[in-house]
Amino acid sequence: MSRLKPLVEKEVKDLLRDPRIYIGLIVPIIMLPLIGFAISTATRSATEAAVKDLKIAFIDYDETNASRGFTSFLTRVGFNVRKLNVSSLNEGLKEAKTMEYKTLLIISVGFEKDLLSFGRANVEVYAVVESVGLGSVGAYSAIDGALKTYSDILSSTLISRIDPEVNPDIIRNPLNVTRYTIIKDTVIEASPQALFGQLILGYGFMVPMVLLILALTVTQIAATATAVENEEKTLETLLTFPVTRYDILIAKLLGSSIVAVLGGILFTGGFLLYFQGLFAMPGLTGIGNVSLALPPPPPETYVILALSLIISILFITSLGVVIGALSSDVRMSGSLIGVVIVPILIPSMLIMYGDLKSLPLALQLFAYALPTSYPMIMAKEMITSTMPVEVLYGIPYSAALTLIVLYATSKLMAPEKLLTLQFRLRLRRTKRSQTKELN
Amino acid sequence: MSNSKVVEVKDLVKRFGEFTALENVSFSVNMGEIFGLIGPNGAGKTTALRILATLLLPTSGNVKVLGYDVVREAEKVRPLISYLAEDAGTYRNLTGYEYLFIVARIYFESRVDAESAVEEAVKISGLSDRVTDKMKTYSKGMKRRVQLARTLMTKPKMAILDEPTSGLDIFHAKHVREIVKRHVADGGAVILSSHNMLEVEYLCSKLAFIHLGRIMIEGEPQTVKDEYGASNLEEAFMEAIGK
Repeated sequence: MSRLKPLVEKEVKDLLRDPRIYIGLIVPIIMLPLIGFAISTATRSATEAAVKDLKIAFIDYDETNASRGFTSFLTRVGFNVRKLNVSSLNEGLKEAKTMEYKTLLIISVGFEKDLLSFGRANVEVYAVVESVGLGSVGAYSAIDGALKTYSDILSSTLISRIDPEVNPDIIRNPLNVTRYTIIKDTVIEASPQALFGQLILGYGFMVPMVLLILALTVTQIAATATAVENEEKTLETLLTFPVTRYDILIAKLLGSSIVAVLGGILFTGGFLLYFQGLFAMPGLTGIGNVSLALPPPPPETYVILALSLIISILFITSLGVVIGALSSDVRMSGSLIGVVIVPILIPSMLIMYGDLKSLPLALQLFAYALPTSYPMIMAKEMITSTMPVEVLYGIPYSAALTLIVLYATSKLMAPEKLLTLQFRLRLRRTKRSQTKELN
Repeated sequence: MSNSKVVEVKDLVKRFGEFTALENVSFSVNMGEIFGLIGPNGAGKTTALRILATLLLPTSGNVKVLGYDVVREAEKVRPLISYLAEDAGTYRNLTGYEYLFIVARIYFESRVDAESAVEEAVKISGLSDRVTDKMKTYSKGMKRRVQLARTLMTKPKMAILDEPTSGLDIFHAKHVREIVKRHVADGGAVILSSHNMLEVEYLCSKLAFIHLGRIMIEGEPQTVKDEYGASNLEEAFMEAIGK
């Protein structure tokens, strides 16, 4: 029976049953969809409430059939429209505000005359803003939409008056533009903007975000697992078992990684449900699945991504074990995680949100020096290029660096070092507190 | 009782920076013996036991366990010993049974042997049905009994017990002492530390007084008492340190 197996079993069972761990794992799968649902529901209901019974006031200085036709169109499309009999704009604005009208329309003198002479008819729109919620945005968008529809109707009427034979739509949009994007030698009938939107959301944002969360989770779990051994005074016993330091270290790395991957899956699920909830929001619906038209990344890119991810997780988990080993308790390891891991993950965030090659050279070198950067680069680039050359060089480098870190960590797991290091740290803390007391 | 050496410590020195925890300590333990290290807090008992358990490295001197050097041959020493730390904790989220079974699988190649060791451990612990509860629900005494069961279930050639009855009530302390005696009768050796002089007198076939990192006297309990003309070990210890 392998001695590693019971050690890994101990790690996984102890971690998964620890409320400090399992609550952290379960929260995203419950909270993220709830947040997404809450945002979309709140926005939708606010928009519906704002659009429903939307009140528009108007001052008609033209008083013609055309101006009356315009206001009765607004009534027909469902707005609550009311004419104001006021002598000045200021008076009109004051009344609109008092009566809680969302918008005041001013139909200028010459509205009909300008239309009939194929000139531009003037309408001034005053939006009365009482709140800046998303619901208000929906209300003003509805008014703008109605104005645009009426403008199209007028335009069609005028074009037909000039020449009843022509199609007004063609006159309005004489260019028939079909957009294509060439990516990885594949021609896709879509604009690059539409494509980028999806790529950024998918490979450029979603995947790196999950990788980032996975990296943070795995480090935190490894640090907690090791710090708990210190806190609960179990490490000393563990180190006397007939197992090698490598067995203990590998068990910690594997146990933490298994739990972190489980956490990653739950987080991804929660995040996807969160996005699903957001896409139910007005204004975000109707995004076509353009990326489906793309050829999938070649299988070797997935292999390289997996390889870079494994190396990266081993690297960062080792750091977690070091942090945990140097911490007398879980609270201290939590504080150290932020100090050590966040700077290491900053390049990953830069890769996620920006272009690495456009960064200053020092930052680029810092990013390339960290194994955690390569899965990010790979995830971001794999859809557009067959294999980023920096990753090809980066993987053997990361593997070597990770081996060095693993070796150093296993050396730290030597009881003499751990016990004497903690003894010295305790001694230093005692001396410091004694000095403070004396002062 | 066999006279083969289980532990041989010669001129052991251990320093932590400028602090000397052990100064030229020498003693030996034979198979079938229960050897007690007695001394006040900070005397160096735990440091000596940690060196025997391969946790700490000596600054100088020689330490052999069952003929193996604890520094150069630590990997060979570990399967032969079992160590109970004074403040050994438990994994809060594992049950007593799970913990014992995990440890047994580390020590034994075969699953049958591991299961048999756990069966023995459950008896030693005296936890009966509570052994399947998570250890975070255990009292201090129950945790200590699980740890003692873990230490002895592997039938180590040498058990290193740092304050084995610490935190136990009178009944469980008596139970533990009987188990320790039985372990030695079954062919092992034990080295333990204790503050409890009565316990040491009852359990140990040999003892050493340790004070400020030095062994003051070593011998059988009766010989030590005779040496100082004391009626009990406490008096003998006070005489030995000049108080």
